[in-house]
Amino acid sequence: MVGTEHVEMIPVAKKEIWSAEVNGRPVEVLAPSNAILLDVLRDKVGTLGVKRGCDLGTCGCCSVLIDGTPRLSCLCLAGQVEGSSIITVEGLSEGAHLAPIQSCFAEYGGSQCGFCTPGFLVTAQALLNENNNPSDKEVANAIEGNLCRCTGYQQIVESIQAAAAIHRGEVEPAAPASDPHPDPHPTGPEEPQMPPGHAR
Amino acid sequence: MSGGYRQQPGSPGKVTRKDGKRVAGKQAFPPPGSGGSKPTMAPRDLDFIPELVGGREAQPAGAHVHDRARTGTSVGKPTALVDSNAKVTGQAWYGDDVRLANEVIGKILRSPHHYARIKSIDTSKVEALPGVLAVATGADSPHQFGVLPVTKDEHAMAVDKVRHVGDLVASVAAVDEATAMAALNLFEVEYEVLEPVFDPKKGLEDVDEPIHWRGKYHLARTNVQKRVFQEFGDRSLVQKPLASSHGKWKMAGVHHGFTEPHAVVAHWGPNGRLQLYTPQQVPHYTHRALATVLDVPMHQINVIRTFVGGGFGGKSDPFPHEMCAAILSRKAGRPVRITFDREEVYWINRGRHPSHIEVKMTADDDARISGFDIDALIDGGGFASFGHVTSYYNGVLATAPYELGSFHYTGARVWTNKPASGAMRGHGAVNTRCAVEVGLDEMADQMKVDPMDLRLANLLPPHSRTISGFRITSNGMREALEKVREGSQWDTKFRQMPLGKGIGIGCGFFISGSGLPIHWDPNRFPHATVHIQVDMDGGVTVHTGAADIGQGSTTAIAQVVSEVLALPLEMIHVKCHESDTSPVDLGSYSSRVTFMNANAAIRAALEIREQLLKAAWEILGYHPNNLVLNDRRIYYKHDPAIGTSYLKALHKAQEDKGALIASGAYRSPPMGGVHKGAAAGLAPAYSFSAYVAEVDVDVETGMIKCTKVWAAHDCGKALNPLAVKGQIIGSCHMGLGQVLSEKMVYGRTGHLQNPNLLDYKIPSVHEMPHVEPIIVESCDPEGPFGAKEAGEGPLLPILPAVVNAVYDAIGIRLRDLPLTPDVVFKGIEKGMKAAGVDDPLDLAPPRVEHGELQPLLVKRAAEHKIRDQARQRSEDTSPYVNGVLFGFDPNIPLEDQVEGWRMATEPDPEQLAALGLAGKAWLKKEQRHMGGDE
Ligand code: FES
Ligand code: FES
Repeated sequence: MVGTEHVEMIPVAKKEIWSAEVNGRPVEVLAPSNAILLDVLRDKVGTLGVKRGCDLGTCGCCSVLIDGTPRLSCLCLAGQVEGSSIITVEGLSEGAHLAPIQSCFAEYGGSQCGFCTPGFLVTAQALLNENNNPSDKEVANAIEGNLCRCTGYQQIVESIQAAAAIHRGEVEPAAPASDPHPDPHPTGPEEPQMPPGHAR
Repeated sequence: MSGGYRQQPGSPGKVTRKDGKRVAGKQAFPPPGSGGSKPTMAPRDLDFIPELVGGREAQPAGAHVHDRARTGTSVGKPTALVDSNAKVTGQAWYGDDVRLANEVIGKILRSPHHYARIKSIDTSKVEALPGVLAVATGADSPHQFGVLPVTKDEHAMAVDKVRHVGDLVASVAAVDEATAMAALNLFEVEYEVLEPVFDPKKGLEDVDEPIHWRGKYHLARTNVQKRVFQEFGDRSLVQKPLASSHGKWKMAGVHHGFTEPHAVVAHWGPNGRLQLYTPQQVPHYTHRALATVLDVPMHQINVIRTFVGGGFGGKSDPFPHEMCAAILSRKAGRPVRITFDREEVYWINRGRHPSHIEVKMTADDDARISGFDIDALIDGGGFASFGHVTSYYNGVLATAPYELGSFHYTGARVWTNKPASGAMRGHGAVNTRCAVEVGLDEMADQMKVDPMDLRLANLLPPHSRTISGFRITSNGMREALEKVREGSQWDTKFRQMPLGKGIGIGCGFFISGSGLPIHWDPNRFPHATVHIQVDMDGGVTVHTGAADIGQGSTTAIAQVVSEVLALPLEMIHVKCHESDTSPVDLGSYSSRVTFMNANAAIRAALEIREQLLKAAWEILGYHPNNLVLNDRRIYYKHDPAIGTSYLKALHKAQEDKGALIASGAYRSPPMGGVHKGAAAGLAPAYSFSAYVAEVDVDVETGMIKCTKVWAAHDCGKALNPLAVKGQIIGSCHMGLGQVLSEKMVYGRTGHLQNPNLLDYKIPSVHEMPHVEPIIVESCDPEGPFGAKEAGEGPLLPILPAVVNAVYDAIGIRLRDLPLTPDVVFKGIEKGMKAAGVDDPLDLAPPRVEHGELQPLLVKRAAEHKIRDQARQRSEDTSPYVNGVLFGFDPNIPLEDQVEGWRMATEPDPEQLAALGLAGKAWLKKEQRHMGGDE
């Protein structure tokens, strides 16, 4: 807000209980009746992976899946989606096991600074849920509402295509980094015995 | 191993008995270093070990000092960013994601006026509002700060004057956002409106009330913040040119457009220490500025760099809102979070300077470039920011990669009542580079030669000096040009495509780390320091202040440590967020992070490695020179069976001291001249790049679409090719935005009209052409494993490549950026008039018939190629300075052999009348007697 160009503040709306299913878990929070979904998700539900880049529907960082469809949470009143099922970037992985789209973004450079990444991930996931064999053009159409300033999109498209290959079952998904993986050399690799004369 | 037999070398296939049993003393020799008969350890990856130390990695540029430290573990392999899993799960914590218990929300009151004196601020109503916890105004922040010590002209909140719409006036912290917003309405501020200046040309004139006073160096009563004059070489060369180009450019200001708006959280803890969480590229400068503004010692402040959602130079100043948050938190006693909305991001700006650039250049009878004459007037907006440096960069970064007969530069940066311009990717070099490269194209046309060959025949060789005295080390320019020429099939396309289709070339040259740390003497304190600590379990913790802003510097540092110690990447943990724990680092600007921090990290890692090898010496009895370090095992070079594990060696090394600790530092070598401004543009190494772009121009609407880019960038050595490619493509994206669609539009009343992402047109996925990233490796002797920068330089060539391609498509030179359809169509209309046609479809695209100079250039380029190869590989180490192409002896100072050779940083009185637009600043006198609010 700039100086005297004031917007008269709308009197704070009455708070109501807002409920929905976020990432598979039911949530109930107290939020003003005119609250924006983005604010509710970030400030009340605590899914801080949903990013605010512009608040105007121009960057796509705030994308979430509402009943499977990607929507901009900054342009969505929380009340409108009351009771629906919402998936944010936090809901893409299974426990600590990354979804293919997530591991591919990491592996193929789809994420540089990473701020746009949550938005791209949910949008791309929605595409892959419907079409696991998209053309580059279809991928571009799906992510056209998402802005990325770092990657120039090329590696994002590559990441999505790589994830599509996993969805099609052509490529094995990567093993989760958090699985138990005991040190292969707890004391170092086993040693061959020293030849006589060499050892101390 | 339990068996207790001696492994013997033998040839596989002959040693396995029919029943498959292995025979002692006869079994196949496992791959070197595989850990004996149980090959759980990865074999040495010879493809990533340089030829000269026994691997298979080609080394066209010859040996490198770090060759011996290569283990083939990480360097050169495409590597996912080490923090990418945090990013893809939404767990990366950016500025606004820091939520401390009990936080309150800060908001900023901004100026509605372009330029005004604040007569009074009444905050009583704000303070009375329930829910308001703290109010701050300029009175709480009397100390000035600024990113450069020489130009500290900012306050946390306006003291006395506001200097642009959106300038900070006051701030408030309240229990929630709604209350804070409501509180903003209750400030009563009385302004006295002053006459604003918007046009940078007006900034050169005397006014009653300059936006700032430069103290006793103020130039008359103008708004000139900095003026520069530089002249090198023999100006007589430019008389009677064979070809010349004269272009007047207007370039709009552009913004970084990072996706994460600024945000900051400040918390004064109960014991009087401030914790400041901020997405900063340059946390250390913020740290310094905070100490000044808040009047507390630096050690009482912990600056915590959060993840940075894109920087590109836009998060590299210490910002007033960071000070506001700290001041509010001090008053409120609770954590204060301030998050910008997108509009506020544009008010703080620091984007690329709107510029008026004039370039005259000439070529002599041999098609040598006899002179560059550059004049750059840049619009700095309300504050100095990095402008002092930008004023130099606009000129001096055009002195390579070509050999020049003479160089003349006048630059001026003026204050205007707009949001401040500052550093943005390709700092200062982008606009002039575009003008220069387009001028070369024009001269090539006049001389009837291929612009590709014109460039190839005029390149400075590796290990040479530019006309202004910069030390060029490795130089992959020639290879880059050759690669894009071949990749794009230039020779079959250039000047041969139908109307509306065009192809163009552009080159780039950029610093890899600035040679002068802004705050201290490089001879007394290094540029970068890295600490490494290895604990009992063998994990390695690296402490560095390097600010990862998405470019992957953390990954690069982890990679080099992993490379030197031959440990897998997951054993390396880089701690780089907190100023409390990391050594001082200057931050992510001037493309210095990887170059300097990785160098420091290598040094620290080598020290650890030395201790490990010494321990292994004690265990094995072989001198470290004969030991090989590979995946968690150290063994005797000639008999890999004799070895010890990393862990055993580590424990041996730790016997008397516990954890192994080492510290490494990097300082750049002394270089460069001593003239005024000689430090600007000095760098330990320079990157080079060449792009070819193909465009489609719709001649009926003026719409340009870039369809394909071949982008070759010399990054020395790609530590992480995945990240380098990402940087190249991302740079193309940003540069394309600047050349085709992005501009900050200031209306007639000086008001910024598009402070949002809808009207500020950043290319979407549909506007992006396919980019073919080509990595050129020239292996810089100074760089970590040979690496140079790859973050900013790749942006430069895309602009001229597109502008030149547009000329190739429609035969019209456009010099008004961005090339939006209206600009292009106006050009087309002019072109139609000139050609006497009514239908744009009847325009004739340019054609070229090569003249007699062409074979000459081809021959010279071929000769120079041999010269360059010898120099690159250090077969020829004779000195080479700019001017040798013109027949001068590099062993005798030029001023002694050329009559009329001059080096000047101030114009001669007789030159004054002929100076260009920015040069007019030299007509003004410094007011030695004046005081002011300095
Ligand atoms: S924050 Fe919703 S589109 Fe930008
Ligand atoms: S990765 Fe930074 S904006 Fe997309």
